Amino acid sequence: MNIIKNQTDKSLNIALEGRLDTTTAPQLEAEFKQSIGDNTELNLDFAKLEYLSSAGLRVLLAAQKVMNKQGKMVIRNVNEVISEVFEVTGFSDILTIE
Amino acid sequence: MIQISHLRKEYASVTPLKDISTEIKKGEVISIIGPSGTGKSTLLRCINLLETPTSGEIVIDGERITDKKCKIHLVRRKMGMVFQGFHLFSHMTIIENIMAGQVDLLHKSRQEAYERGMELLRMVGLSDKALAFADELSGGQKQRAAIARTLSMDPEIILFDEPTSALDPTMVGEVLAVIRSLAGQGLTMLIVTHEMKFARDVSTRIFYMDQGEIYEDGTPEQIFEHPRRERTKQFIRRLKVFTAAIDSRDFDFIGMNSQIEEYGRRHLIPQKIIYHFQEVFEELCVEILLPILPDKVSMQITAAYSQEEACMQLQVQYNGGAFDPADCDNPTALALIKYASRKMEYLGYSGEDGMNTVALEISE
Repeated sequence: MNIIKNQTDKSLNIALEGRLDTTTAPQLEAEFKQSIGDNTELNLDFAKLEYLSSAGLRVLLAAQKVMNKQGKMVIRNVNEVISEVFEVTGFSDILTIE
Repeated sequence: MIQISHLRKEYASVTPLKDISTEIKKGEVISIIGPSGTGKSTLLRCINLLETPTSGEIVIDGERITDKKCKIHLVRRKMGMVFQGFHLFSHMTIIENIMAGQVDLLHKSRQEAYERGMELLRMVGLSDKALAFADELSGGQKQRAAIARTLSMDPEIILFDEPTSALDPTMVGEVLAVIRSLAGQGLTMLIVTHEMKFARDVSTRIFYMDQGEIYEDGTPEQIFEHPRRERTKQFIRRLKVFTAAIDSRDFDFIGMNSQIEEYGRRHLIPQKIIYHFQEVFEELCVEILLPILPDKVSMQITAAYSQEEACMQLQVQYNGGAFDPADCDNPTALALIKYASRKMEYLGYSGEDGMNTVALEISE
């Protein structure tokens, strides 16, 4: 998985490419720990995310909890397959997906 | 175009070809499949006399090439061979590799050889690599360059000896695409391959080789869907079965996913089913089972895909005392398994071998 990061003011923009699974989720978790800081916006671009498992969902949920306290987290450009994963797990009700 | 009669090749300790007889017509695209060590590559190497047959006869366009008086260099001009290991000259640029044979053997001018070489490099999508050296190219690019070099000799017959076996899985597709494009151009092609989807899509005829003979010869549909003979049936059935064993928590997860993808690609399995297979594997085996299994992990995964029913039957067996995955406290993983599989059934725990069994069905 590739993590492409871009910081503007208090807004952290992260695009993910490839697979967010049991081996790559810790990589994203570490990136969040290092980069979220006091940002008030976390924008995630999933246009090139091909696969998402429960291990990835756990990391997204943890980031959502952090951002709930200090701003907002938005996930964009979700493809059909990833969208189904959010739907069937009920995460579409917890996360902000545009 | 090629007649082979009672071809036999013996080495001191093994006889890879026992008795091969067949006729190949101009323009046929034949994939040669079968288990390892059954003489597939030896057959190709005998056809262009890289191996000398022990007995039997090969006739190409009326020329008996197994005859000692035959001028084999003239016959070989009709044939090109693409090897597993590319065999490009590393001290030459790619265009020089492609020009060399044309200048030295076909006696073309360097300008003619260059123009034909560039035309072929454009055809295989490598015109921008003409001045690169072989070591600067990826495996897939090297093999495409090797195909261009073979075509530069204007062969009527091309022999492909496992052209994608040495490639990283991500590069197999680009090479197969080039071979696929040649298949419609009237060339006679014999392709030794383990890429079953490719063999089925591209070939006009399949040789299933086993026990040193062409055990079954037929159309792709006949061989893959309605094999007649027992060993062909067994081979085709085995092809569609995926098996894997996990005996450590630190198993190679990425490697396992690559194996699943390769299994799907080779056997015509829809991408959506492979995606679901990977989801079920990760959620059930990695997320739910691995954390609760004893230190000495024992897990077996068997998947069989039925093309007729467009459905995959998956069975997971694991040690560690009776445990139904449906009772786990990971609702997210369970939701994803439910989404990816039509049904999941716990078949129980066998006290005899200490293994649990779960069966799943995956469809699109």
